[in-house]
Amino acid sequence: MSTRPPTLREKRRYILARIEPYGTPLEQKELYYAISDAATSLWGDATTGIITPAVVALEHGHVIIRCRRGTERELAIALSTVTACRDVRICLRIIAASGTIESLRSRFRQKKIPQAKTHSESEPESEKTATGTDEGVERVLSECTFAKKTFQIVHCNGQKVDVIEKGFKNTNRLFLTKDDLENLNATTISDRI
Amino acid sequence: MKITDAAVYPYPLGDASVRRLALEAAALGFDSIVAADTPSGTYGQVEVRSGLMIRDVPVKDVISIVKRSKDSGKVISVNAANNSFNRAVIGLKGVHILRGIQSADKLAFDHVAAKMAADNRVAVDIDLCPIIMGRSVARQRAIHRYMDILVLEQRFEFPITLSTHAHSLLEMRNVRDIAGLCSLIGMDVPDVERALAGIGTVLTPPKQAVTVIA
Repeated sequence: MSTRPPTLREKRRYILARIEPYGTPLEQKELYYAISDAATSLWGDATTGIITPAVVALEHGHVIIRCRRGTERELAIALSTVTACRDVRICLRIIAASGTIESLRSRFRQKKIPQAKTHSESEPESEKTATGTDEGVERVLSECTFAKKTFQIVHCNGQKVDVIEKGFKNTNRLFLTKDDLENLNATTISDRI
Repeated sequence: MKITDAAVYPYPLGDASVRRLALEAAALGFDSIVAADTPSGTYGQVEVRSGLMIRDVPVKDVISIVKRSKDSGKVISVNAANNSFNRAVIGLKGVHILRGIQSADKLAFDHVAAKMAADNRVAVDIDLCPIIMGRSVARQRAIHRYMDILVLEQRFEFPITLSTHAHSLLEMRNVRDIAGLCSLIGMDVPDVERALAGIGTVLTPPKQAVTVIA
């Protein structure tokens, strides 16, 4: 089948959303199913058919979702009801809508992802446990204590610190700030995180 | 006018510290939040109001709890139950919000309760959690109840508050998302703005209709 000329193609719009929490491993297909499920559940098959949501890109913790022009509002509402993707709790924060994918890509390229460190990075453990800040590169502790429990830091960005309790019983993420750790555990944190 | 999320649950009830919730709330466009069982304060640009959520207790206990925390500056909210309970609670001085109306029975909030809420300036909370997290029947029921409440609100003009009841950062939504979700229950943007400022309405003392100058 030959491609239609541009004037005969249906007009589309693209929505850029940030995936939270940062560093959640997701597959494009799974995310599409989550979004499609949310849209179908909220608007029904007929409207979702008109919206035709599709995940066109999943990169750097951002997702670009395609929809038919004029249905951005409906898709945005449906996106705010996405709460999980394959039993992993997520949240989509809409950043922008545009007519081209490239302009959305340039948005998050321009923004530059903050210097954040996660434990998935292949760095020796000794470097991760260093404290203090070196010229914009944030050094993170691998462990911290909060409310008398030991946690492993999984993500640290600015004031925000995401931690997971150590051990195999409770693997839920806790969302804290540096001030929480400093105030509550001044004795266990040597300098700054 | 302060844009407020009328109920969030910080650690240990939720999985985020109150500071982190405040940080996130600022990023999402809120000026203040009501946090359960947390002392009041200001973190960054966001004002955190202390909230007291009373649930599953008889009216007698509600009265004593409200009396005890009357001058504490807390935002006191009571979970809705049956009609007589709701009327009794709305009539109490010191109660600010009636919550959980979507899970109370059908006749729990009628026109009499609506009139009382308007007279006593008690807000009815619209919990967005069932719309965000709920699916199928649960969501449909919540939407139906909220639309029913909004009919009464337009007639009697009692205050409305909006809350996400977020136990996590991931359950918080930005102001634009909230406006979108509220459009599902027939609220337009001015209604949403008024509802987001509902906490301020409830906490400020009413203006007297007649002012004696001399």
